[in-house]
Amino acid sequence: MSSLNDIGNLMHIYLDEIEPGEATDAPEFLIKASAHLLNQKGGRNWIPVIVKETGDDAYQVIGNSFIYAVAEEAGLDRVWCIIADGNSDTVEVVKVLAGEAIPKINLSKASRDEIMSALDYLINQPASPLKGVKLAIATNRIDEAPRQYWKTLDPITNLKCGITRGKKLEELKQIFYLVPEAMPDTITDIGILKTFSVTDLKAMAKKRGIVGISKMKKDDLLSVLSQSSD
Amino acid sequence: MAPTSLRSTLSSLPDNAPEAVVDQHFSSHLLELLGFQSQEIHPQYPTGDGKAVDKAARKTVGDDVFLYTKSNPYLLLELKGRDCNLSSDAAQYQKAVKQLKRYLLAPNCKTAQWGIITNSCHIQLFRKHGRVIYPATHCLALDNENADKVVASIRKKIESPSRALTVAVYNNKGGVGKTTTAVNLAAILTFLGKRVLAVDFDPNQQDLTSSLGIPLSEGGVLEALTQRDIELLSTLHPYKFPLKRINSELRFDVIPADKQLVDASDDALRKLLKRNMLHKKLASARQEYDYILIDSPPNWRFFSQLAVYAADVILIPTKHNNLFSLENAAIAIKKFFPEVQAEKGDGSPIPLPIFFNGEKITPAQLAIAQQEISNIIKTAKKEGFDLLSYFYPRYTAAKKDLHIPQIPSYANIAGAAFSRTPSVYRDRSAHEYYKNLAKEYFLQ
Repeated sequence: MSSLNDIGNLMHIYLDEIEPGEATDAPEFLIKASAHLLNQKGGRNWIPVIVKETGDDAYQVIGNSFIYAVAEEAGLDRVWCIIADGNSDTVEVVKVLAGEAIPKINLSKASRDEIMSALDYLINQPASPLKGVKLAIATNRIDEAPRQYWKTLDPITNLKCGITRGKKLEELKQIFYLVPEAMPDTITDIGILKTFSVTDLKAMAKKRGIVGISKMKKDDLLSVLSQSSD
Repeated sequence: MAPTSLRSTLSSLPDNAPEAVVDQHFSSHLLELLGFQSQEIHPQYPTGDGKAVDKAARKTVGDDVFLYTKSNPYLLLELKGRDCNLSSDAAQYQKAVKQLKRYLLAPNCKTAQWGIITNSCHIQLFRKHGRVIYPATHCLALDNENADKVVASIRKKIESPSRALTVAVYNNKGGVGKTTTAVNLAAILTFLGKRVLAVDFDPNQQDLTSSLGIPLSEGGVLEALTQRDIELLSTLHPYKFPLKRINSELRFDVIPADKQLVDASDDALRKLLKRNMLHKKLASARQEYDYILIDSPPNWRFFSQLAVYAADVILIPTKHNNLFSLENAAIAIKKFFPEVQAEKGDGSPIPLPIFFNGEKITPAQLAIAQQEISNIIKTAKKEGFDLLSYFYPRYTAAKKDLHIPQIPSYANIAGAAFSRTPSVYRDRSAHEYYKNLAKEYFLQ
């Protein structure tokens, strides 16, 4: 590895020293037409490719892979690059800022406004499986649910807001992650209890020392748990 | 030690004092005059979204001293230097207001009820109610003569905040759903645990009153408005909605429309009533309710003027497929509301951003509506008005966000009138859409 001093620098690097990394999924038309334009208008890529150093005179693209593809198509010998350090946080930030990856938000703590804008984004994606999901309704239901305790996004499918298991729920996984709080043993609000699965409820009942759990149905569990600490 | 006059502090400040100097010499004195001791003030208070506001303050409660616990700020102060022009038409003023609003809505400042911007030459007080921020004074010029008086009046305001936010629902185009909005907002805010008063101030249509199955007033409201010693609240009529749980119900209060007001001409009324009368008469209600919603008539005659005068903020429903409802909203914002603001003298009422009320919007229709709105904004700009934030509140120079809240209308929303029940109590979708509206505009 050469010195770290190059980090942050704009450098004119030989294309054949750069490995493409994760390839762009831009359509051929955009790449070819952009390459043509680039050649006609001076051949300098004013927006640099973001690369990390992988060895002596060896680099890998971590962001703006579209520009790399265009430079390649245009037959450029050298391409302007910014050298970034290779740690995973940097790579994530670069990909998000380059518009190549979607940033995720923490659904356990997100504000209502954040949830709304995230859902709005997904619903309005072209050919989104979430077409037809009512933004206002989905936002209300998800915001009001006890999402701070969720370990997975599955409970969303029980909220009756048009988001079902399968494709629709998978879409949400693109933008939400969870950092669940530990479940307190003393929830007695029946509205919150209702949203848990029978397994969760049984675990909760066991912790509280309730007997005869194994034979209880969900309704029984709800009534026992909602009373027990009064 | 009794607080001393601000006069000497002000006159000792150099003419071009930068922010640090204003901070050192002026701000602590100002906060002291507003009733805050040094332990009740936190400098550079972190707002929770990575920024810090110059000062935050709260009175000590028991042994909860703000400087140590840093919890629940009550007042935020954003300071500028004298080199930053804060007169109300300056660009720097707009920027400072935006900054203050952002602080007030930040996660750590949920409890803040007041915000002040000042550079020691100008000062303006803002009130925050839920997520609504509106001016509580004009942007006032401070000088040696008036400083103590101005600060005393601000102190009086922050020591006796009114509990209620008064909202006039207004558009001088008819049929845009003013009454539907007022009824359903009242109902959903009640459902969310707020105390709500709805005022039917459209005596010609009387729709709010009749849609809830409440009897019209037979002159009682007129009397309460015109007679000095009759309380307006004595005319109210509760609307109750029983819940499935035994012994519980939802309830909000309604001041019904008055039959006798129908026949009264504007001229006759003007002889009996001043424009500020409804505002005056609602004084006690402002301490008893969380929200006062006033349904107003679709014109700019006397009743609308009373309703708008009484309001802190104005909610303007429009229809995406009705150009006039958009143009009329613009006219009201450009012409009518400033008249009332000038007369009322405390900077309110201010219009809230518009929303679309009505039929489902297709992308093509939305594009047409956006085209019309951008024409309206362009025309207004030539006349010297900036309407952008009232139509596209999220639009900034770097971000072309054209979001406008929508409430789709269903047959069952309008049809709910037949059952004398607000549709949010009958229909699940309506319930969710109005809850969304309430949360997007009012609740934090």
